[in-house]
Amino acid sequence: MAAKNSSGKKSGEYKGFMGEIYAEPEIDGTPMQPGRTYPTRLIKRHSLKTRITHDVVAISCLWLMVSGAFVFFPPLAHAFPAATQFFRMSHRVMGAIFIIIPLLSAITSPKGFVEFWKKYLVKWTPEDKEFMKKFVFYMLGAKKVHMPDQDEVKSGQRFADGMLILSAVLIAVSGVVLWLGTSVWHAGATALLVMRLIHDICFLLFVVFGLAHIYLGAGIFEPYKGTSRLMFGDGKVPESDALYHWGFWAREQIEKGNVEEVQK
Amino acid sequence: MSELAIYFDSSKCTACRGCQAACKVWNELPSPIGLNAGKDTFAGTYQNPPDINPDTRLIMTFKEREREGSYGVDWAFGRRSCMHCTDAACVEVCPSGCLFHDPNGTGFVIYDAEKCIGCQYCRSACPFDVPRHTGVGIEGAGIKLNKCTACIDRVRHDRQPACVTTCQQDALQFGDRDEMLQKAHERVEWLHERGYADASVYGENEMDGLHVINVLKYDISMYDELPENPKKSPLVDVMSVVGKPLGAVAVVGIIGGLGLTYALGHGYHRDTQYYDEKNHDQIDVDKNVLVKHIDKEAGER
Repeated sequence: MAAKNSSGKKSGEYKGFMGEIYAEPEIDGTPMQPGRTYPTRLIKRHSLKTRITHDVVAISCLWLMVSGAFVFFPPLAHAFPAATQFFRMSHRVMGAIFIIIPLLSAITSPKGFVEFWKKYLVKWTPEDKEFMKKFVFYMLGAKKVHMPDQDEVKSGQRFADGMLILSAVLIAVSGVVLWLGTSVWHAGATALLVMRLIHDICFLLFVVFGLAHIYLGAGIFEPYKGTSRLMFGDGKVPESDALYHWGFWAREQIEKGNVEEVQK
Repeated sequence: MSELAIYFDSSKCTACRGCQAACKVWNELPSPIGLNAGKDTFAGTYQNPPDINPDTRLIMTFKEREREGSYGVDWAFGRRSCMHCTDAACVEVCPSGCLFHDPNGTGFVIYDAEKCIGCQYCRSACPFDVPRHTGVGIEGAGIKLNKCTACIDRVRHDRQPACVTTCQQDALQFGDRDEMLQKAHERVEWLHERGYADASVYGENEMDGLHVINVLKYDISMYDELPENPKKSPLVDVMSVVGKPLGAVAVVGIIGGLGLTYALGHGYHRDTQYYDEKNHDQIDVDKNVLVKHIDKEAGER
């Protein structure tokens, strides 16, 4: 319970990065039965197909960013002209993989594809909005700032992934025009300039949102430790982490019995 | 070395196309045989090939119209090749350092084919649509730029470009850019005096000065290869901003920002949580205390 201390500040409050006041989440604190033990449980989050699709796209995306950098940053191309030729050719092979694999995945699992979109195109709850408002403060002070419960895909995730998906679609379309418009057909000069500008801007979006995605998704950021297992492991999330990241979703899954006990 | 220029006088040119052949010979460019004759294939013009292509750096252009107020036709011969711009958009967009201005200060736009990566950005940026590429294929390997270099290999040895050496009418000349400009103005004045009121000099100020100076006998509409007011696309400048400063800000910003959050989040710990789905209790396992009770009846979830 929030009691006033000598400074007049409620003990359950803390100041955020910009001086804003947040209330600590109310913790009941009632002791449970002494000696009670709790099993370790896992919740399934991503299917094998989702993981393979994600991982192939992720690796091709990294390769595309590195090989593309040789064209984007002229000093690199100046320094390694032979490598640039190789990277440029590999950029086309990887570009094809980057486009074909998710399309194949969507075509062979139309239901999964629809479900995927449903998770992203949901109505924003008050908790979603609170999450977005607190996001920067959370990133700078995760030890103190507590985030509200979230559904299956956090609002911040929906925004960041949405930017990645948008960039991916635009970079794929512009890439195809830049590639085939200079080989299979003869694209006009202005068309090529516009496509290249789109390609460049999307590349920068990928740098920003892609690096942030890797930082959080691979669990480099300590509060997100263990998240790499979701896409690069067995696709399962420990109950405790699920409750922390996606509280509404985790409790719903547990109530439905979509949970697997791994240790008594 | 001072700035040099190729001078082309369309009023002297007889369109013999010796320059086209000389360019091919000196630069060892193949000349595939194609028909531009006969009922089904004749294109209605002596212009051949129809445009510069990956094997042809220079062509003479032909355009005709009925002469106003007199018998006969106006027949305009133009020279289509790299214009060697001072403000060369191709050099600006080239990502690999393949295209550059001659370091000796002649003003010619030259290139190192070894460094060409085949991106063809130069083609998209050139206001004259000049750069062409050999080896264009879907796999993208081995595409190489091919365009006029003003025979820089000859110029460096005090020789004139191949096209200039072969011109019998002196329609093509070569030398100090200022001298060529002066010659062009004198010639245009001479043409004006003889009734060619639309004669003009092309290349003095276009793209901050071209290193091919044209004397145009007729108005510019008779020379399709020459845009009236060539401009670098504003997209080229936008791309320079996106590519360099904005790119650097994005990379430094995101790495710096994430680095800061890593430092501030280092040593983070949280207690293990468990959800008792029967009683709807979320429990802190480490401390064995209730975190919160989910009041399902009140609509909590």
